[in-house]
Amino acid sequence: MAYTVHIHSRCVKYIIAMNTPMTLEQLARLCRDAEGSHGPRPAAAPSGFAELDARLPGGGWPVGAIAELMSDAPGIGELSLMVPALSRLAHAGRHIVWIAPPYLPYAPALAQRGLPLERVLLIQTGSLKESLWAMEQALRCPAVGAVLGWPASIVDRNVRRLQLAAAAGGSLGILYRPPEAARESSPAALRLRLHAAPDGLAVEIHKSRGGNAGMTLRLAVASTVLA
Amino acid sequence: MSAGRLWLCIRLPRLAHEALATAAHQAADAAAGCGVDHAVIERHAAIEQAAMERLAAWAYQWSSLVSYRLADGPLLWLELGASRALFGGYGALLAKLTAELTQLGYSHACALAPSPAGAALLTQADEQRCVTTQAQLRLRLEVLPLALLALPPQVLAALHSAGLRHIGQLLALPDAAIARRFGPAVSLYLQRLCGTASDPRPAWRMPAVYRARFEFDAEVRATTALLFPLRRLLLEFQGYLRGRDCAVLRFTLQLEHYRHPASAVTIGMSAPARDAAQLLLLARERLQALALPAPVNALRLQALEFTAASVLQGDFFGSDAQQLQQLQLLLDRLQARLGDQQVRGLALEADHRPERSWRLVAPQQPTAVPDLPAGVRPCSLLQPPRRIEAPAVLLSGPERIESGWWDGGDVTRDYYVARAVDGARLWVFQDLARGEWYLQGLWA
Repeated sequence: MAYTVHIHSRCVKYIIAMNTPMTLEQLARLCRDAEGSHGPRPAAAPSGFAELDARLPGGGWPVGAIAELMSDAPGIGELSLMVPALSRLAHAGRHIVWIAPPYLPYAPALAQRGLPLERVLLIQTGSLKESLWAMEQALRCPAVGAVLGWPASIVDRNVRRLQLAAAAGGSLGILYRPPEAARESSPAALRLRLHAAPDGLAVEIHKSRGGNAGMTLRLAVASTVLA
Repeated sequence: MSAGRLWLCIRLPRLAHEALATAAHQAADAAAGCGVDHAVIERHAAIEQAAMERLAAWAYQWSSLVSYRLADGPLLWLELGASRALFGGYGALLAKLTAELTQLGYSHACALAPSPAGAALLTQADEQRCVTTQAQLRLRLEVLPLALLALPPQVLAALHSAGLRHIGQLLALPDAAIARRFGPAVSLYLQRLCGTASDPRPAWRMPAVYRARFEFDAEVRATTALLFPLRRLLLEFQGYLRGRDCAVLRFTLQLEHYRHPASAVTIGMSAPARDAAQLLLLARERLQALALPAPVNALRLQALEFTAASVLQGDFFGSDAQQLQQLQLLLDRLQARLGDQQVRGLALEADHRPERSWRLVAPQQPTAVPDLPAGVRPCSLLQPPRRIEAPAVLLSGPERIESGWWDGGDVTRDYYVARAVDGARLWVFQDLARGEWYLQGLWA
């Protein structure tokens, strides 16, 4: 199994100074502590999946920040993964904004999963520039709980911009990105790779600011039978 | 009579010039020494008139009795005796009013007096331009030079040659003597000046629709250069809306071009608004998206319909209402830039056919909630369904859906969950009438 550890720049000097071999766990703990010392843990929106929440800093999706979801293919459960958290935010009175999704969010399905439709907004745009603009506006709005976007491509500077907007609005920004994006770095607070799994969805934590990366969880998300 | 009345007079010495100038031109004019060419004086008169009409509408928010005069230097009067209590005293009222005048970009001198003529005269005084009783007014006038009186030059010359220098010396003479020596008009003017004779002013009437026009003295080529005059137009418009105690849901901006049809932009809002900053924000989004076919030489603002100002910015108390308002601001911004049809909400429809069991609605439109379908549905929909080959792997199904015989769209379909080679789960159906397979959704 692949095990990725992101080493914080602050740790590198320390690791070199120690000049002793260490286990992967020791290294991971060191990095976690170093990143954790950045400041207070961010607020989080519970994902509704206990196994995932246990692995995410603060116990859920990073509120006031951007999470990137890099799905191997559309239709493997990448939206179902978000729906419990979106429903919770919507029931708390905040709006959920879809920006130019590649497929229509299907109203009966969202309603079946407990998402109040009167809190859902669907924004269509004519260009990537408009999408990013709309996403930034929506993230900044305190009445909005989460914004979902599907930018065909996005540079770090714009991710950072969206992150600032999310921080200003106290909202959660979800960027659906192609699997190739995992090869590049990104300032997003959380980056997950999503793989199809026979019994649901395999979620690989690619980057987690203030948390630990590298592990893969299997979640039963895309239920095709009514509970 | 004038008892209990108090007049604010605003002298606008550079009205036409300032109404015409944009920020850039103001700076250029200051450098050039502000000479006004005689060839454009006539045009200036029309511009001055238009500017004064807009200012009168703006002034209506403070007073229901507004009057103006353009000959011999533009003057605008507001009767404030009735408004004092409403705005927390004269101090607060005058501070607010002059701050807005400055924001509008007009040079001004204000004075407050119990008579319109007295207030007009005091706008020319260097100090102590605010008196509230007739006794105070008389004392104040007495020490001022005769030259400030709004009398014909030959009368002023006659007064001067009679050895009079201050208004007090003239007022000390009996009315009958003044009328005999200098004419009855002079006597009447002095009585009106002191507030002892009535001085009816033509009350400006608020137009039922709002139309304002702002002409540029040079062609404007960039939409960003329109923002300064637009801001002024909207501030004046805000005054009009406050004066009528109403708000707008829609207004139109027209950009006039030389020898080219005007460009029009209609700005609509999801909730009644009258805050100039909010209106400017929306107008700016629309203007920035606009490609100018030709340079602009005038800007028009028009509002034909008004709504009650029931729910407005600043009128909210609870946080729910605040959130609603924040959402409306977001919706307005998105709609202004992207178009109304691009910003939608979702609703359910009572129809068994999956493609008709939902619809797009205006955001926040309250909708009925029909029963949800019995079978579980996928989060992503393909509209319209895409024709596919018969799927290789069916995970579950079928769910039979039959419907629509009453409107000609009858369907008989068997729905399945299928698996694609990349692991995606597909929502597919077979049209039983034709045997064809379609992809209609993704279990995203």
